[in-house]
Amino acid sequence: MSKATRLNQPGLGRNNEPPLLILTSLAAGAKHGYALTKDIEAFAGVSLGPGALYGAIARLEERGLIEPAPSEDRRQPYCITASGRTALAQAVRDMRALSDVGASRLGLRLSTRRAGRSVATFMVTQ
Amino acid sequence: MTSADRFERMIRWFPPRWREHYGAGMVALLEDTYADGEVPLRAHFSMMRTGLVERVREFGLIGSAATANERLRAGSLTILCGWTLFMIAGADFVKFSERWNGATPRAHLMLPDLGYAIVRDAGIAGVVVVLLGALLAVPSFLRLVRGGNWPLVRGPVVRTVVAGTSVMVFTAGISIWAHLLNSGDRNGGLWAYEGAVLLWCLAVIVTLGIATGAALRVSRQLDLAARTLRLLCGLAITLSVAMSAILIGTALWWASEAAYAPRFMREGIGNGIVITSSTFPLSLVIAGLLMLLGLGVAAAGVARLTPSLRRREATL
Repeated sequence: MSKATRLNQPGLGRNNEPPLLILTSLAAGAKHGYALTKDIEAFAGVSLGPGALYGAIARLEERGLIEPAPSEDRRQPYCITASGRTALAQAVRDMRALSDVGASRLGLRLSTRRAGRSVATFMVTQ
Repeated sequence: MTSADRFERMIRWFPPRWREHYGAGMVALLEDTYADGEVPLRAHFSMMRTGLVERVREFGLIGSAATANERLRAGSLTILCGWTLFMIAGADFVKFSERWNGATPRAHLMLPDLGYAIVRDAGIAGVVVVLLGALLAVPSFLRLVRGGNWPLVRGPVVRTVVAGTSVMVFTAGISIWAHLLNSGDRNGGLWAYEGAVLLWCLAVIVTLGIATGAALRVSRQLDLAARTLRLLCGLAITLSVAMSAILIGTALWWASEAAYAPRFMREGIGNGIVITSSTFPLSLVIAGLLMLLGLGVAAAGVARLTPSLRRREATL
């Protein structure tokens, strides 16, 4: 299987696409629509429109990667499933492999400075 | 209108089944995000785009979740939608090309005659194909009705019958009126008649839309046997071939008439209202665009059903 195929295998798209952003957000715990948009805005700087968010939620639920969590009001929270975690882990590994290749070819050293946040610091090794 | 009503209206872009499942959560998201403030255009656009995509997905035209049967059915019905556009375009073409052969020099009749014959014969073939398809679906429709499911399809069927009957009465009335008028009055001399013809055209277009909508809604309820569905797909593919032939015939007729009978083209119906052109008369431009759009829609249908049809044939 080629790398390009592997990157797309879970169907999560590129790293700034709604399904991947939603799975990444839900990996930290169940969230409803508004909490998801705020979290995604905070960690990725991407502002998802309501349609794009729910379109992606529908696809992820259809594929069993997320599921509705119990709710007491109209806000419907979602949580990541075991398959969702596997798909996200695969996508993260693929992105890591890609960024490692890119970094080595550019002569950059990658380090994740702040644990618990998805922020990568790029430092020139020279 | 309360803000909740406003948000409920925004989710109407989505199909009913989708709204049942996600509607409440989506309205809650809109309330949390925009409260009583203005909803930006970007959000409206996001809702509209995703809602329409979800409708197309539910129809079975896109997405991997649809079963092979749903894809075959969606592909065939999409081709039927393309045919509806061709019927409107065809009516426009037929009206524009009335008495074209009398206005074309005898020495140059061959090419436009060939083009016109292709349009006419392919059009007749298309109508026959659609009627055959309808006949094939009759047993399933009767089973549906006998099974007590008439209320599921009553609305669209009754609307089609009412609209069809009204158009037939309208057509009869306008034909009788036309026979009482002289040629000059029938061809732009009498504004009341022109207005009635325009209204009649609109009524035909609306009726075609209602009938196509009914066909889509009814066929989704039909339980079609695998063999029937395969036959319907074959007919749908034949219909798209007929559409291609009509487009080719129209282009041939159009190009040769523009070259050999520019006066006929310049003085044709629709010319002079907005623009006057012997190469691109407005009526023909509209007909051509409708045909191109219809063929594009049909191509999407063929692309959807062909892979499933091939897989199915391989397994049989």
